[in-house]
Amino acid sequence: MALLRFSSAVDPVSGLLALQRELERRLESPLGLDLGVSGRGVFPAVNIFSDNTGYVARLEVPGVAPDHIRIESQGRTLTISGTREVPTPAGGGFHRRERGSGEFSRSLQLPEDLEPGRAEASYKHGILTIRIPKREEAKPRQITVQAA
Amino acid sequence: MTPQELSVRNKQEVGGEEPTRAGRTYLPDVDIAETTDSLWLWADMPGVDEQSIEVNLADGVLSIAGRVSLQEYENLSPVYTEYNIGNYARRFSVSNDIDVDKIKARMANGVLELELPKAATAKPRRIEVAVS
Repeated sequence: MALLRFSSAVDPVSGLLALQRELERRLESPLGLDLGVSGRGVFPAVNIFSDNTGYVARLEVPGVAPDHIRIESQGRTLTISGTREVPTPAGGGFHRRERGSGEFSRSLQLPEDLEPGRAEASYKHGILTIRIPKREEAKPRQITVQAA
Repeated sequence: MTPQELSVRNKQEVGGEEPTRAGRTYLPDVDIAETTDSLWLWADMPGVDEQSIEVNLADGVLSIAGRVSLQEYENLSPVYTEYNIGNYARRFSVSNDIDVDKIKARMANGVLELELPKAATAKPRRIEVAVS
């Protein structure tokens, strides 16, 4: 599995292209990760990454304030729900309406070796990041060779 | 409004002239509204902070652009993806006369909000009919 080791400090431009190509490869060949009943096309769109501590789910939720987002874990499933409101100016009419509003809910069913119960979430610039750690026994361990 | 499941529109790439920088640029979803005093625009640009936004209005063309940061993606390996990440750009022709100095831009939760106040001459005026 390709690891994205690009340094944005050195070259932000080719870094972006490298990331986009890597994501595109995945878009074309989705792996067998079970995302429960709701799939592609359901708001919010999700990307899932892994690193050596576990999984990182990143969802695009622009315009949804963090206090309007609810995250629940049950067994292997993580459910993200909330409401997106779009402003309507008083006494005005719309020329264009492309941004949807309303309630959303999405469930992610995660592999056995993760612990959704210990997930941590953060929100920045319209992107929700949920870190789901691996179970202790699933983490890579270094085994020391004992001298006989 | 009837409750309806929110759906995601696939990101559309910007067509036309290519930017000089490598990488894909996407069209943000926008709402545009008009009131008697102003034009309002909201654009979804998740991942863009207030420092990485550019708004321009010249010769009746409003252009908005936002750059995403890649820092948070270091050392991550994609497992499953539904959306690509890229900078945002979009242009609109604006027929109203806008008071450029009074344009207000605000960025909150990945959404750009623009208030474009109409120039005094562009506001509708009621013309009194004199009674003879």
